[in-house]
Amino acid sequence: MTVLTRVIARLLLPSTLITAIAVLVKGYGDVGDGFSAAVIAAFGVLLQYVAFGHRAAARALPLRAMPAVSFAGLLLALLVTFGPVLRGQAPLAHSPAPGADVIYLGTLELHTALVFDLGVFLLVFGFAVGAIDLIAGATDRERGQGPL
Amino acid sequence: MLVLPLAIVWLAAVPLALLDGRRRWVGWLAVAALGAGFLAMLRLAVAVFARGPVELVAGGWPAEVGITLRADALGVTFAVLSIGVLLAALAYETLGGVHERALPALVLFLATGLTGLFLTGDAFNFYVFFEIAMTSSFVLAGYGRRTRELRAALIFTVVNLLGSTLFLSGIAALYHVTGTLDMRGIATWAGVADQNSVLLIATIIFVAFGIKVGLFPFHFWLPPVYRDTWPAVAAILSGALANIGSYGLIRFGADLLPRELRFAAPALLILGAASVLYGALQAVAVRTASEALAYSAISNAGYILIALGIGGPAGYAAAILFAVVNSLNKTVLFLAAGLRGWLVSAAFAIGAFSVAGVPPSAGFFGKAALFRGGIAPDDPALSVALVALLFVGGALAFVYMFQIYQRDFWEREGAGQTSGIGSRILVLGLAGLVVAFGVWPEPLLAVSQQAAGVLNGGRP
Repeated sequence: MTVLTRVIARLLLPSTLITAIAVLVKGYGDVGDGFSAAVIAAFGVLLQYVAFGHRAAARALPLRAMPAVSFAGLLLALLVTFGPVLRGQAPLAHSPAPGADVIYLGTLELHTALVFDLGVFLLVFGFAVGAIDLIAGATDRERGQGPL
Repeated sequence: MLVLPLAIVWLAAVPLALLDGRRRWVGWLAVAALGAGFLAMLRLAVAVFARGPVELVAGGWPAEVGITLRADALGVTFAVLSIGVLLAALAYETLGGVHERALPALVLFLATGLTGLFLTGDAFNFYVFFEIAMTSSFVLAGYGRRTRELRAALIFTVVNLLGSTLFLSGIAALYHVTGTLDMRGIATWAGVADQNSVLLIATIIFVAFGIKVGLFPFHFWLPPVYRDTWPAVAAILSGALANIGSYGLIRFGADLLPRELRFAAPALLILGAASVLYGALQAVAVRTASEALAYSAISNAGYILIALGIGGPAGYAAAILFAVVNSLNKTVLFLAAGLRGWLVSAAFAIGAFSVAGVPPSAGFFGKAALFRGGIAPDDPALSVALVALLFVGGALAFVYMFQIYQRDFWEREGAGQTSGIGSRILVLGLAGLVVAFGVWPEPLLAVSQQAAGVLNGGRP
């Protein structure tokens, strides 16, 4: 890989992550959700693997935490799903309820659906990064370089 | 109440996934969680049978807008059965010692998928839970991690992914034709849609579920998988996961697309008969117990198809009854085939009698219901053919079951290590359940009739 590729890959990472966050938070008024946000973010990570190779990219990432990130995301999403049941509402009922006023943070609308999507984001992102690392590591092992 | 069984197993599965399942207390924790889910499901089932279907729309949205969760008699019957089988298999594996850290969590994720798909009123949601169940079972099939298990897991995964893709295409096509994913909406609109396109869709969905349950022309993957997986996993695949196929055939066929099912009845009868005979003849020919049981599963799937082909309230009730009994039989047999010791051979013999349809086992009433449904007063030739088929199938089942019994439990008497007393008592308890249903079949018959009564095509 040329220096140019590496520089661009490095530069693209923050902008990919910001796009992912935008897709995540805009989900309810616009196109987007936690799943596609996580896929976009994982794509940014994949770019690092392509540009810098498995070893360098894996060293820079907290890979050991990825299973925990996935399961934390799943747990978060499930709590939002089943939490309302404890209050006697239907599962996946969100507050503020549809039609009610939401709290604004700038143009960002805060409601529990966002937390649900954050859970989905963490689940998919954790899984995707883990899978990318596994596949990248497999080609390394095939070439006889061995695991890290 | 409807979400409680789902919430218990799903929420328990997540923390368990991070724990080491090889530790005994983790295994028992998983058994306790699954047991709690099973009890919650039983409570739901009792309520459904006493007071009719329970319904709930996710997110508190109005019906037709939100995604519906619906528990009716058919769904809860299969849910109680499948979670019960999973509970038995997990307790069995915990008693014998778990080899892999992920097993308890995987069984709970599988329970989540099964609970969800039996309790949903939405075709796409059905697909989502179906995939949760399938994904966990792909990993489960490789349990044991020796070459033979991994090879079995690869076959299982590739073939069933193909089935899932077909099913997803079928759902998408149904949505295109009917404009809804709600099952009740599909049942309403598919009846007035263009018959040719609905028939094509019905065929796709039939093939998808045929692959799952292992019907004759789509059975090719099943024998190597059931032969090479771990006994508890084979019990899970044939006792719990195959229920998706039979439930899917009954729900999508008899409930959502009854017009197409009636139209295809002759084809179903022919395929069912082919499945019964092919499976039984192969089972007589093979040498190992698990392989014979796998072919027996193909043969028994044929009976369900025949019952669906007969149709009407009696036929659908027979299909449900047979599916329930068959799943219990297979669980007992696969679990017993993995053990040694004197209580086990008794359990295996009971399972074998039940597959052959000998009283006083539950299998007798499965066959009896088929007889009753199969005697069509207006078509004597069909009645004769069906009764003859049932006799031949039963006789062959008798032959292959006792071949296994003779080879594995008589000849090798005393050979090999006796298994732990706990797992032997568990298997004998399950076999006792098969006998109990055979001695006192009224509850099971009532359940199957009430479950058939919720089907659009099953109302008298």
